[in-house]
Amino acid sequence: MNILIVEDEARIARRIERMAQDTFGNELDSLKHADSLPEALEFIKNNPLDLLLLDLNLNGDNGFDILGTAVSESFHTIIISAHKDQAIPAFEYGVLDFVPKPFNRERLEQAFNRAIAKEKTGTHHVKLLAIKKRGRIQLIRIEDLLYCKGAGAYTELHLADGTKELHDKSLEKLEQLLLHSFERIHKSYLVKMSEVTEIMVKPGSKYIAELKNGENIPIGRTKYKDLRGKWV
Amino acid sequence: MNLRSLPATLLVLMALFATSCSKGTVYEEHVTLFKTGDRQEWAAKSLNDQGWNKYLATVEDGRVFWSRTKIDILKSPESLHPYGLQLEVYGEYEVFWDGVLIGKNGNPGQEAKLAPEGKLWATFSIPEHLTAEGEHVLAIRASLYYFPDHAGIWSLDIDHYDDLLTDRLIETSYMHIFAGAFLIISFYFLFLFMNNKNEYPTLIFSICCFLVFSLVLTVFSEYYFPIHYRYHVIRLQIISLFLLGISFLIPFYFSIQFPYPRLRLLLTLYAGVLIFIFFIKHHAFDFRAVGMVLSMWCFSFGVVSYGAYKKVRGARLVLVTLLLSMVIFMASGFVISLYTGLGLILIGMLYLLSLNIKAQRLAYENSLVQSTRLRLELLKKNIQPHFLLNTLTSLIDWVEESPKKGVLFIEALAKEFDLFNQIEDQTLIPVAQEIELCRTHLEIMEYRKEMRYYWEEEGIDPQQKIPPAILHTLLENGITHSLPREDNSIKFKLVYESDGKCKCYTFLTFAAGVRPGAGNKAEGTGLKYIRARLTESYHSRWDFTSKATPDGWENKIKVYC
Repeated sequence: MNILIVEDEARIARRIERMAQDTFGNELDSLKHADSLPEALEFIKNNPLDLLLLDLNLNGDNGFDILGTAVSESFHTIIISAHKDQAIPAFEYGVLDFVPKPFNRERLEQAFNRAIAKEKTGTHHVKLLAIKKRGRIQLIRIEDLLYCKGAGAYTELHLADGTKELHDKSLEKLEQLLLHSFERIHKSYLVKMSEVTEIMVKPGSKYIAELKNGENIPIGRTKYKDLRGKWV
Repeated sequence: MNLRSLPATLLVLMALFATSCSKGTVYEEHVTLFKTGDRQEWAAKSLNDQGWNKYLATVEDGRVFWSRTKIDILKSPESLHPYGLQLEVYGEYEVFWDGVLIGKNGNPGQEAKLAPEGKLWATFSIPEHLTAEGEHVLAIRASLYYFPDHAGIWSLDIDHYDDLLTDRLIETSYMHIFAGAFLIISFYFLFLFMNNKNEYPTLIFSICCFLVFSLVLTVFSEYYFPIHYRYHVIRLQIISLFLLGISFLIPFYFSIQFPYPRLRLLLTLYAGVLIFIFFIKHHAFDFRAVGMVLSMWCFSFGVVSYGAYKKVRGARLVLVTLLLSMVIFMASGFVISLYTGLGLILIGMLYLLSLNIKAQRLAYENSLVQSTRLRLELLKKNIQPHFLLNTLTSLIDWVEESPKKGVLFIEALAKEFDLFNQIEDQTLIPVAQEIELCRTHLEIMEYRKEMRYYWEEEGIDPQQKIPPAILHTLLENGITHSLPREDNSIKFKLVYESDGKCKCYTFLTFAAGVRPGAGNKAEGTGLKYIRARLTESYHSRWDFTSKATPDGWENKIKVYC
């Protein structure tokens, strides 16, 4: 686990560091603290990262300036901020969690657990997914997204207009963010359930979900039961 | 009271006055003939006056001379309603009607010996039996000691005696109401000026109103205030002086309200023109009056037109009142248009003042809102989430790790809250209090940032006052935007210098440099707060600069005495 803490208050940064060490123990490969945005961006560019812990107000700079870049990366972002009013916009951007200051050990551990996917209780609605395209950050509205298809470390985003975009996050990580309206119906597919018109059984016990636009998506054998329980 | 309605009322009164003076005449006047000498039979109706002159040259030494005027009475008076005769004649004289002495005004022929007696405007009753329809003779036995070249009847009126006495008084009373209104307005605006000595337009308007009041009073007092003919010139001089004052002040007022290029030069030239008119024909009073008033109108028209062209608020309406006064002048002549015109122009000026007062009220209300906003801003400094919640997060950590330090931290925090509480509703506080606030803040920030902060001061006069939390704001900026030096510290220094002209605070930050991007935020909310506070307390008598130095950052606040 590689973690970057972006926080301009030395005391708070040390507190987060301490708690991260306690939570992750031996799983922690690296833990870096940056106290300014330029330093953080530089580090993100050159180092592998699994988790970003970001303060939204840094030396008077707005943490949202970095947020678009951060959420388009492969790692998860957790906001730790005093500005609770920014929680909703942050979630809409696709952060994994928002920890308001002052925080205690339990609350931070809960956020860490989300990051290592022990917990999947997403309560907030992501509205945008940031992707990197020709060196720039582009925001895609979730309502335009039909389904995601895992492609190794990346994910293909299939959009309503028939185009495809690539996201740096893995399908698992996107599943965590898109929990409220998307369902993992196959190990390689994450589908918006409101787009599914029919679930068909094909010869050879193959299960297929048909989307409104006519596309067929395979349903995993093990997932079918869950799906039937939830949706049929 | 709505002052705008007052001049409107005046206008109505003036209109009433203008319509009340038209009536049919009951007589016809023939040429007046003169003869020097003194013979009692010259009063007789039947005298043959063919050898008499139409003009009389200068009468020397106050000698007695006679004048005879044939008058046709067109209509006999009603019974018990005798006719009267109203005269404006220079000199002291006796009046004969058809050979009968009907009145006496002073002592003709004895002026040099006796004290001045009589009045310039006199009214005499004519016995009823002498005013039958037909020809009559008015003979005057007069002497003219003081103005020997002013022989003659300057005005003559025959009407019912009662009406002659009352009509002019009624007219005068209207004009006095008109004048009284301006007296009240004059006082009202004088008091306004005394309460705000910077408002010169208010003072000029007040003086204008007072001059119009004085002018009307001087002109219209002739019907009830007896003046001997030798003092008449003094009265005319006074009237001319009032007109001179009005003619200069009204365009001067408009020049202040609608400033134009080369204002001083043009005003000086205009004053020169007025003085030239005033002295060019020293005894031609009517010429002077018309000349000065017309110059005033033309210059004012120019100034107000410029204002209207520049779209200054209110200029158009004033332009309309000026044009209206010119229309009245064209239609009704000088005397009526002088007073209606002055009334209209003063209404225009009053309208401009009311616009000014409204603008001032709005500015004042804005300043109140601004003060409240600054107070809130100050209050917010300590409860804004970034400060408070970050501090609390650090505090939790200190308490968990080192409760003793945690207690010290809480004490520092409590002290800062307490200091903020003390200065919260003030606009100026002793600099010593502000410094204490800064020191406490640094103590808190040391706990939070785990960095050393040093505070130094030089030449501080602890009694000097400054707006609250402006140094504190500079300190916050310094902490936020500075990179710590090698020993993980930042130093702040406050220097105070003062000479007779200005007080200067220099706030220095010594750091390893400024964080990238910090320079772009030079006009952040912090600096806006500082500027707003300085404006609130010192208006425009301050200067604030903020710039990077090789050592860190330098802020300078100068307040001019």
